[in-house]
Amino acid sequence: MSLKKENSIKFNFDVSAYRLIGRELITDRITALFELVKNAYDANAENVIVEFIDINPLTPNSKIIIKDDGIGMQFSDIKNKWMVIGTSSKRRERLSPAPHKRKVAGKKGIGRFAVDKLGDKLVLRTQKKNSAELLCLETDWSYYSKLEDSQLKLNFEDEKPFFTDVENKYWYDKGDKEVQGTTLEISQVNEIWTENDINRAFKELSKLVPPNPSKTNAYPFNITIKSPYKDFNNVKVKTQLIDFATKKVELTFDKKEGVQEILQYKKGSLNKIKVPERPCGFLKLTLYYFDQAAKSKYKKYFNSDIDGIKIYRDGIITTPFAEYVADQNKQKDILGIDKRRWSGFFDRFGTRDLLGYVEITDENNPQIIESTNRQGFVDNEAWEELRKFIIEQIVQLESYFKNVKKVERENTKSSLGVANQDLKTLKKEIASVKKEASPKVQAKLRSIEANLGKIQGSVTKSIKDYSKLEKESKQQENLFMSLVSLQTYAAMFSHMTKHTLGHILTGAEYFYNNYPNPNLEDRFISISKSIYKEMLKLRKGVDFMLKYAKSDTELEEINLKELIVNLFDNIYVDRLNEEGIKTIVEIKDNLILNYNRKAIEDIFDNLISNSIKALKNNNEKIIKCSSLTSSDKVTILFSDNGIGIKEKDKHRIFDIFYTDTAEEGGAGMGLYMVKTRVEAMQGNIEVIENEFRPTGATFKITLPFKK
Amino acid sequence: MEVTFVIIDDNKEIEEHPLLFTLEDKFKNVKFYSNPQEGLDYIKNNLEINLIVLLDIEFSKDDNMDGHDLLREIHNSSTLIPVILWSGINQTNEEFSDFINNRAFGFLSKDCSLEEAMQIVDKAYNNLKNSLDNIIEDWIISNESDKDKPIYFTSSGESYTLNEILKEIRLQTPIGKEFSSKLNSLTIDLLLRKKENL
Repeated sequence: MSLKKENSIKFNFDVSAYRLIGRELITDRITALFELVKNAYDANAENVIVEFIDINPLTPNSKIIIKDDGIGMQFSDIKNKWMVIGTSSKRRERLSPAPHKRKVAGKKGIGRFAVDKLGDKLVLRTQKKNSAELLCLETDWSYYSKLEDSQLKLNFEDEKPFFTDVENKYWYDKGDKEVQGTTLEISQVNEIWTENDINRAFKELSKLVPPNPSKTNAYPFNITIKSPYKDFNNVKVKTQLIDFATKKVELTFDKKEGVQEILQYKKGSLNKIKVPERPCGFLKLTLYYFDQAAKSKYKKYFNSDIDGIKIYRDGIITTPFAEYVADQNKQKDILGIDKRRWSGFFDRFGTRDLLGYVEITDENNPQIIESTNRQGFVDNEAWEELRKFIIEQIVQLESYFKNVKKVERENTKSSLGVANQDLKTLKKEIASVKKEASPKVQAKLRSIEANLGKIQGSVTKSIKDYSKLEKESKQQENLFMSLVSLQTYAAMFSHMTKHTLGHILTGAEYFYNNYPNPNLEDRFISISKSIYKEMLKLRKGVDFMLKYAKSDTELEEINLKELIVNLFDNIYVDRLNEEGIKTIVEIKDNLILNYNRKAIEDIFDNLISNSIKALKNNNEKIIKCSSLTSSDKVTILFSDNGIGIKEKDKHRIFDIFYTDTAEEGGAGMGLYMVKTRVEAMQGNIEVIENEFRPTGATFKITLPFKK
Repeated sequence: MEVTFVIIDDNKEIEEHPLLFTLEDKFKNVKFYSNPQEGLDYIKNNLEINLIVLLDIEFSKDDNMDGHDLLREIHNSSTLIPVILWSGINQTNEEFSDFINNRAFGFLSKDCSLEEAMQIVDKAYNNLKNSLDNIIEDWIISNESDKDKPIYFTSSGESYTLNEILKEIRLQTPIGKEFSSKLNSLTIDLLLRKKENL
């Protein structure tokens, strides 16, 4: 078929383009090595040898050779794939050929330019199985550089050769029929490789596949490093097995059942529960937590720090984690683990306490896409949800370990108590023996008794000290809590003040500039009205701030009904009227609690503002608070008929910093405060079946009566 | 020069803000939108007039766009509109990303005075006034007869009158952009060859 030839023109690359896609996109030579080894993986190689020859100091014989036993290439592959920039074959065929059927790691078709980062000259030798020919191709990157330099001196655009005009020599050598694979021989090496550099390469390459044997068993992928250094003379790169972890958690999913495992901390134990599929898609997560002791063991053994959570797709590391960062402290925290507010406080973990592997797949998580600059992921809902998922699991782990610490403390305390009791018994027994003993033994026993008394004294003192310490740390924690809530409030307060002051200031300024002027009479009226309104707002904010400053520990007798009615009818009356919310209070007149007023106000303050938010889109809006008393406890039900709490969120709504709107700051404290306040009163709070069906939420608070 | 101010802020009270009164006193045309989408629609439908936008950054959660999205959208529709961010949130954080990425014209804090605000507003006004499209418009106003003269011919043979070119520039069409850049080159060329005395 011949088409009539019209005039047309093709794109061309300037010779400097190879810099952009090689040297400047692949920023580090270790990353370059990584890319080339990844190519071998995609070619079904089971063994890759990375050999460094004469690389310190550099000589004319310096070489880096990367040899694999993969499927190799024939001339058509070289012509249509290797020599084509941005080859699409790996995007089309997302699996490597049978029998391995690996998910291919490369997608962009630029990995081969990584060679340029390592050395100026490349000889590629490749062979298919059962072929007697070894196909060889030579590329001289320095020629491209020279062209680029000389172009800068040329005045006439038309005389410039393009990237695509450069000839690369190829030829055939005799090959061994039994052998297959590709060898990249890089000479004119750019930089010296010190032992430390080789060590870095070793460590980076060990991250290529997750330490999860299930994926690698069938078709192993072995990397061997050969170099002149003693420790890296001929050494197999092994996935760093995670040892010494204080706790290991594995989460998986069941696609058939449509469920994903997540962690849930409840009453002292950490459990896996099954929830519906999350918007990020099904995934596996292996999480290791290291406490101080485990961390130092790890560091001593592996000579590297714990470096957070990495994401693997279809058995191979994703690009943002494949970039080498020399200083681990500068590693980017793309999951945002350390960016969480108050990370490091309140028993929260950071990337230096956690190691983990998230395993995603193209099939289950198609929306999680590595960004083209290799620095992160495309910011979309799936990625956001994946981050949320990981943070959530960390939060559950944190709660669990917080409790472990608490239990340990209690154990210490009770064993001290037991010791004290044992000492008493021992003393009694000695006293009873003493009567019948000989004078010599009596004297001995007396000295033993005296010593026992001393020990008893110090045990008693320890118990006292321990209680004191415990009380102090509880106080400290309370102080922290109030600081946190104060900070949240301060942020809100200053935001409000800024607006209010701006309004008042410009209002006054407008008067100053324009008064009197009969034409602007309407404006003066509206401005003075708004100044008045803004002043009221300011006063309210200041009042609330003052309330915070007030002492927080005094106990008093509180009539619960009066307190709640006061909140509804005085404090919140404007908001409730504005939103058209009806309130119902069914609490006995004589229900008195002996507690700190601020704490109880806090609880209902938070519950009411939560309900107001939940009722936003309702037509008929109701908040109801009722109570039930029995001989030893009071049960308070707090309900609204708003949007309710989603089933999938029920288990985590009380978690600190759990919020749907973290970016906007502030939120994520309310229900946690409620919970801690209730628990400080030895009470309990939970979400139960809602009173106002079909929509709404009901919180059940149980408080014991003090004896 | 006529200019219309568009203020987008989800807080309805801003409609009575003294700055808006001041703008109305001085420039007459002030449009207030508490719904960001409506504000954006107004801008997109009125690209042929002179606009200066004052834009809040934080919007309530119910709005599916915030100030950053709006700024991007406006910038995508036309790069000629000065957009001044007017916000109560921490200034330095905002300045960086938006000034660089979306070229906000300036930043006003919610607690600044009218005097401070008007300095930036006047700067934006002068910037508009000295822009190519407004100079053409001034020309047309004072030389009514030049309005329909064809002044620009494309390689594909189409011709544009002065008035048509004005519209193309304001709508930021490829023709408009091409014309602006060629005109600038021409001016420089003329100046260098001393063909024209200013």
